Amino acid sequence: MNDTVTTKSAPQSKKRRRLVQGGLLVVYILIMVLMVLTGRRHTILIDNKDAPDGSYSAIDGMEVSIDNQESAEYYPGDRDRALVQGQRHTIQVTIFDDNTTIEQEFTVPLWSDMMIISVPKLVAGIEPWIEPFTMAEQIQEAQESGPPSGEMSFQSLGGVAPEEIELMQPIP
Amino acid sequence: MSAQKRLTTLFSRYAVVIIFVIITLVAIPPSGLSIKYIVQEIITRLGRNSFLVLALLLPIYAGMGLNFGMTLGAMAGQIGLIFAVNYGIANWQGLVFALLVGLPIAVLLGSIAGLVMNRAKGREMVTGYILAFFINGIYQFFVMYMLGSVIPMRNRAIVLSRGYGIRNTLNLESVRQSLDNIVMLRVAGYTIPLVTFIIIALLCVFVVWFKKTKLGQDMRAVGQDMAVAEAAGIPVEKTRIVAIIISTVLACAGQIIFLQNMGNLATYNAHDQTGFFAVAAILVGGASVTHASIVNVFVGVMLLHAMFVVSPLAGQNLFGSAMIGEYFRQFIGYGVIALSLVLYAWRTRRAASDARLGLHGPQNDSVKGNGGQP
Repeated sequence: MNDTVTTKSAPQSKKRRRLVQGGLLVVYILIMVLMVLTGRRHTILIDNKDAPDGSYSAIDGMEVSIDNQESAEYYPGDRDRALVQGQRHTIQVTIFDDNTTIEQEFTVPLWSDMMIISVPKLVAGIEPWIEPFTMAEQIQEAQESGPPSGEMSFQSLGGVAPEEIELMQPIP
Repeated sequence: MSAQKRLTTLFSRYAVVIIFVIITLVAIPPSGLSIKYIVQEIITRLGRNSFLVLALLLPIYAGMGLNFGMTLGAMAGQIGLIFAVNYGIANWQGLVFALLVGLPIAVLLGSIAGLVMNRAKGREMVTGYILAFFINGIYQFFVMYMLGSVIPMRNRAIVLSRGYGIRNTLNLESVRQSLDNIVMLRVAGYTIPLVTFIIIALLCVFVVWFKKTKLGQDMRAVGQDMAVAEAAGIPVEKTRIVAIIISTVLACAGQIIFLQNMGNLATYNAHDQTGFFAVAAILVGGASVTHASIVNVFVGVMLLHAMFVVSPLAGQNLFGSAMIGEYFRQFIGYGVIALSLVLYAWRTRRAASDARLGLHGPQNDSVKGNGGQP
């Protein structure tokens, strides 16, 4: 009688153990995915420049903050960066001239390292005001369109890392 | 037991601790450092190193000596951190991600170490030490060649300019002190990384609880006498492998905690000294190859690091060169390990000699002297 119970319960316990192990593996992978989703860091460039074709112009003076981080003042031609974590964020723009405040939500694609927000486009309601930004592409574009103008400056990004310099070198 | 013999026993048991306390106390005045600074440094270093040193406890309970193979776990943790930086996962999430990546690697390396050590019973320490060198070669190959060539890397900033292999030094800015800074307590002018200490406390609770479990009891039985444990039906080899796996996994987590506090990773040699300093710390705390406790861990970390803080400046002020202090640091680290091993061998031999003498006639001294305590 006992033997029968043992032989019947052995495969069942083995099956149960496999189920538990499988469940734990799923939980393990889910935690990993959750960490990627909530922990992935993105660089947001905040840009206040005129459009090359004159369709919009830089804002005379404003204060911008992302996700209630410390705000910074921007004047025409300024560009700075903010570091954010996760995908959903809020940008708050306070324009000095009329003291109006604009708040806008935006999402950053998971695998995008750097995005650029054109605040003049955001204020003027021109889409897309947020775009992916690649340093190498920007340099290539700048070189194709002739010598860089005085306004195009990466200095405000806080210096170019040596790795980025290495990336830049092969581009003619 | 005569008073002199008792004093000799006490000194031989705590020789390392006594020597260390004396050296540190002597070095404090010439270093010119304030007590407040030294205490703050010790608090920081307790948070940074304690987890790694606690990883050594279980193999000692299982009679496997000081696990120099914990370097394997440190390497697993570093691989986890490289991937966290590669995928741009910041803050404490980056640390959890690194741990989740490092965990299976640590389990695999730990089981390999356990299997090898089962083939070298009685020589686990030197086996672990050499095994760490062997796995280090594989780690170097993996990080220097595989990453970037076979395994694609997203973050070009951490890859060498040739296109594969990881840079010598990795900036862990994205995860730097992310665990420590979750809650930074300020008490009487001292900053205490509360969450880090809570995690260390939880590990201590785990160790105490684990010792009371069936597996923990088995480990202690195996540590006391393998033949008796085997006869009692305890799976000796499996228990030893489990001890090493747990130690390696804890070393993996410990290295992540250590590196997040440091803020940068020396990719190819950060793990080199991990086992060495952890072992030195636990020995300085009064542990031996066969006996260790949680108290030994904390006393050891405090004493070793107090000396690490004061010795370079004491060297600078006494001899005009900070390098003297650095040499002294290295010398003391290795010296402590050597002294502990020599004392352990001497005590073992003396105990055997006493036992032999006991066979020749009644030696009730030891029983009386012990007060009947084990």
